[in-house]
Amino acid sequence: MNTTAHLLSPELDTRRIVTVGLVLAGLGAAAFLATLAAQHPQRAWQAFLINFLVWSAMAQGAVLFAAVMQVTRARWSGPLPGLAASFSAFFPISLLLFAVVFAGRRHLFPWLHEDLHGKQAWLNIPFLFSRDGIGLVVLYSLGFAFISQDLRLAIGANTGAGRLRACLLGRRGSTADPQSCLARARVLGVLYIMAYALVLSLLGYDLVMSMDPHWVSTLFGAYTFVKAFYIGLGALIILAAAVRLRLGETCGLTDAHFADIGKLFFAFCLLWADFFYVQLVVIWYGNIPEETSYVITRTMTAPWNHLAWTVLFVCFIMPFCILLNRRVKTRPRFMIGLCAVILAGIWLEHLLLLGPALGPGTAGFHIGLPEGLITLGFLGAMAAAVAFFLKRFPELTRAAPPEPEKTST
Amino acid sequence: MPQSAYSKIDRTILDTLKPAGRSYWIGVGLLGLGVLVGAACWTYQLLVGIGVGGQNNPVGWGTYLINFVFWVGIAHSGTLISAILHLFRAGWRNPIARAAETMTVFAVCTAGLFPFIHLGRAWMVYFMLPVPNQRNLWPNFQSPLMFDVVAISTYLTVSVMFWYTGMLPDLAIIRDRAAGMRKKIFTVLSLGWTGAHEEWRHYSRAYLFFAALATPLVISVHSVVSWDFALGIAPGWHTTIFAPYFVAGAIHSGLAMVLTLLIPLRSMFKLKEIITLRVLENIAKTIIFTGLIVGFAYGTEFFIAWYSHNSVETTVFAWRATGHYSVEFWIMVICNTTIPLLFFFRKVRTHIIPLFVISVLINVGMWFERFVIIITSVARDFIPHAWGLYAPTLVEFGIMLGTFCLFFFAFALFVKHLPSVSMTEMKEVTAP
Amino acid sequence: MKKSADAPHQHVMGLFRSEDQAAAAIRKLAQSPWKLRRVHSPVPSHKIAAALALKKSRVGLFTLAGGIIGFFSGFGLAIYASTQWHLIVGGKPVVALVPFVIVGFEFTILFAVFGNVLGFLTQTGLPTFKRLQHYDARCSGEHFGILAACRPEQHRELAEFFTRQGGEPRIFDAPSPTRGQAP
Repeated sequence: MNTTAHLLSPELDTRRIVTVGLVLAGLGAAAFLATLAAQHPQRAWQAFLINFLVWSAMAQGAVLFAAVMQVTRARWSGPLPGLAASFSAFFPISLLLFAVVFAGRRHLFPWLHEDLHGKQAWLNIPFLFSRDGIGLVVLYSLGFAFISQDLRLAIGANTGAGRLRACLLGRRGSTADPQSCLARARVLGVLYIMAYALVLSLLGYDLVMSMDPHWVSTLFGAYTFVKAFYIGLGALIILAAAVRLRLGETCGLTDAHFADIGKLFFAFCLLWADFFYVQLVVIWYGNIPEETSYVITRTMTAPWNHLAWTVLFVCFIMPFCILLNRRVKTRPRFMIGLCAVILAGIWLEHLLLLGPALGPGTAGFHIGLPEGLITLGFLGAMAAAVAFFLKRFPELTRAAPPEPEKTST
Repeated sequence: MPQSAYSKIDRTILDTLKPAGRSYWIGVGLLGLGVLVGAACWTYQLLVGIGVGGQNNPVGWGTYLINFVFWVGIAHSGTLISAILHLFRAGWRNPIARAAETMTVFAVCTAGLFPFIHLGRAWMVYFMLPVPNQRNLWPNFQSPLMFDVVAISTYLTVSVMFWYTGMLPDLAIIRDRAAGMRKKIFTVLSLGWTGAHEEWRHYSRAYLFFAALATPLVISVHSVVSWDFALGIAPGWHTTIFAPYFVAGAIHSGLAMVLTLLIPLRSMFKLKEIITLRVLENIAKTIIFTGLIVGFAYGTEFFIAWYSHNSVETTVFAWRATGHYSVEFWIMVICNTTIPLLFFFRKVRTHIIPLFVISVLINVGMWFERFVIIITSVARDFIPHAWGLYAPTLVEFGIMLGTFCLFFFAFALFVKHLPSVSMTEMKEVTAP
Repeated sequence: MKKSADAPHQHVMGLFRSEDQAAAAIRKLAQSPWKLRRVHSPVPSHKIAAALALKKSRVGLFTLAGGIIGFFSGFGLAIYASTQWHLIVGGKPVVALVPFVIVGFEFTILFAVFGNVLGFLTQTGLPTFKRLQHYDARCSGEHFGILAACRPEQHRELAEFFTRQGGEPRIFDAPSPTRGQAP
C-alpha cells in the first residue's frame, strides 16, 4: 500500500507527542490530587467533571463524523474520516475517567443532600452510575466495532505489527472482504449514531441538567449531542490542520477538504446557537419561576452573566463572523487557533452550566492554576492517545493510493 | 455517449408537456370540483360565522390549525431536498428537486389560506401587517402569531424566487423547442436566458447562496410554527424540544409527501429512467432518519414529563396515551415511528407498492400528530372544570377536502405545463 | 468581452458536442485575431470557465449587503412598532430583544435573498433579449456554442477555424431573430 516514496516524506513525530502528552497528563493528575488535598476538593472535582465531559465529547463527536461519512456515503471528505477514527483512542481513557467520577460522587451531586420528592427513582447513585456506565460501554464498543470495519475498508490487509492493529484489523496478514466490511461498517455506523444520540442525551441529563434537580429542559439531551458534534469537528479540524502543517501535501488533505469540513463546522456552530436560543426563547416566554431561575442565575446575575456573554461571543458570534469567509477555512494555522478558542469557549460553557449548581454558593467561579493544569492534563491524555493511534496506523496520515479510497455504490 | 444522453433527457421531460389526454382533464376537473366544495364551505362560514366550525372553549384551535401546520410541514422537504442536499452535493436530489420545490410552493400557499379561514372575518387580515395608520396601531411583534406572518411570508417569497430562478435554464429549453405563441410566452418567461458563460457564472453563485439562505430559513420557519404552541404555558406545549422536533417532523411528512407525489408521477409520465428506484430508496432512507428523530422526541417528552414529577405534565401525557384521543395518539406513534422502520429492509424500500403505502401512512400519521398536539393539550389543561373535547364539523371537513384538492389540483396543472424535472440539473449529473 | 463599436462585425458560432473540444477551441481562439463574444452551454461547465479564466462572481456582495440591511430593518421595524404601541404585554419589556431576534432573522434572510436576486439580475444583465440575436437553439440542448466576431470578409476563415477544432460552424449574416434548428 505505501510505496517507498512515502519513506522519504516527512513523518509525524508521534513518539515525542506521546511522551509529551503523557508528561502533561501526569502533571494534570498531580495537580488534581494536590487540589483535592487542599482546601477546596470541590474545585478539583468540578474541573475534573467539566474536562471529562468536554474531552469525551470531542472523541465521541469526532468518531461520529467518521460514522456519518460512512453511512451517508460521502465522497468529499477524503482522509478526514480516517483521522477522525484516531479519536477513538480516547474511549478507554474516557471510560476510566468516568470511573474516577464515581469516586467524587459525594462532591459532585448536589441532590444527594436534598429531598427530591419522588425524583430519587431516577436520581440515585447506583442507578445513575450503572446506566451511564453501561451506556458508555455500549457506545464505545459500537464505536470500536465500527472503526474496525471502517479501517479494514480503508487499509485492507493488515501488514503492520502491534496489538492495536491486530485488534482492529484482524491478525497480521489477514485480508478483509471489502464487500462484507462495507455492509458491516454501514450497519455499525448506524448503530453508533443511534447510540451516540441516546447515550449523550443520557449523560447530558444525568451529569449536567440534573445538577439542578428542579430544572428540566426537554431539548437538553439533543443540545448535548449537537454540542459534542460541534466540538468533535473542532478537534478534528485541529488534528487535520496539524497533520497538514507537519506533513504537507503527502497527507492527502487538500484545501477543498478544509473548506468543506469548515463549512460543516460552521453549520454546527449555527445549529448549536439555534439549540441554545430555542431553549432560551421558550423559557423566556413561559416565565415560569422554576424554569427561569436557572436561566436568570446564569445570564443575568454577576459574575455568571459575564461568562454567559463570553461564551456567546466565543462560541457563536466570533466564529460566525469569521467563518462566513471562505478563505480562512483553508488556512491550517488560523483554523487551529480559531478551533482552540472555540473549544475553550465550550469548556467555559460547561462551567456556566455546572458552576452555579456545583460551586460553593453562587458567589463566583474560579479559573486558576488548578483548573488550568487539570485541563492541560486532559489535553495531554488526548494528544497521547491520538498520537499513539496514528503511530499504529501511519496509513491514516498518508495520501490515499490513486484508486478511490471508498467505493460508493 | 453523454451528448445523446442530453437530448434523451430533453426529449423525456419535454414529452411530459405534450397536450394531455382526457383522463388527465377528468382528474383535474374532479380536483377542481373538490376545490369548489371547499370554497362553498368557506363562503358558508363567512356568511354564518366562525361558529359553524367545531372550535370552541377550551379547544380553540381545530382542524384549521392542524391543516396549517400540516401543510407548512409538507412544504419543508422541498427546501430540504433542493437546498440542503444541494449543499451536501448529494447528486440523487437532482431528479426530484424541481417537483419537491413545486410542492413547497403550493403547500405554503395552501397553508397560508388557513389563517385567513380561521380568522373568521377574513377581511380584517391586514391587521397582521405593519401598515402605518392614524390610530398608530401596530402589530405586536412579540406575539408568536406575528412571527408566523413574518416567517411564512418570507418563506413563500424565498421559495418562489428560488423555484423560479432554478427554472430559468429549463424555460429557455422549452422556448428553443417551441413555436408560435408558446415560443413568445416562454421567451418572456425565461427572461432571455441563453446559457452564456456570464449567465452561468453568476447563476451558479446565486443558486449556492439561495441554498445557503434557504437552509436556515426552513429550520426557522417550522421552529416559529412550533412556538405558536411552545411559548404558551399549556402542559404538553411548553417544552423546549418543540422547535427541532417540529422541524424533524415537518421534513418527515414532507419526504413522505414527495414519495406520494413522485411514485404516480414517474409511472404516468414514463420518468422511470430519470426518477430511478435508487432515488426513491434514498428518500426512504432519509425517512428512516427523520422517523428516528421524531421517535426520539416522542420518547423524550414522555421521559421528561415523568422525570420532572410535574403532576400536570404527567397527567396530560398519560391522558394522551390512554384517554379520549388515544386512538389518534397510537395512529401517530405507529405511523410515524414504527412503520418507517420497515424501510430498514431493502426489500421494502425497493418496491413501489410498499414505498407508496408507507408514504401515505406517514402522511396520515403526521396529520394525527398535529391533531394530538393541538387538541389534547388544551382539552385538558390546568383547570379540571374547564376541560372539554373537540370534534371537527362537516364544514371543517369540507374546507379540508377543498384545500387538499387545491394542492393536488395546482400540482396536476404544474406537471403538464412546466417541466417537473429539471433538465439542466439532470444534465449536470449525467455529464461524463 | 467588450464590444468594439467601430468596424462592422460578422458573427460566427462554432457548435461543439464535446466540452473538452469547446474548451480547447476557446484557448485557441484567444491566440487568434478573432474576437470571442460569448460561450453558450447547456450546463455550467468548469472546463469552459477555466478556459475563459473567469473571475469569481460578485453576486455575494449583493447578498451580503441585503442581509445586513435586512438584519437592521427587521430589528428596526419590531422596535419601532413596539415603541409606537408602547404597551406592556404579558409582563414583557416593550423593547424585548429575545423575541425580536426572530423578526430580525427572517428579515435578514428575506433581504439577503432580494439582494441575491438583484445581484443575479444586474450582474447577468437579465432580462435582456439582445443575446438571442446571435444564438443557436441547439445550445440549450447538447451543444456548446462559441460565438466569435470577425471582419465580414473573414467569416469563412473563422468558420474553417471552428471546423478544424471539431465544431460545426454557423454563420450569422445579418442581425435577425433566431431561427431555431431543432437538433
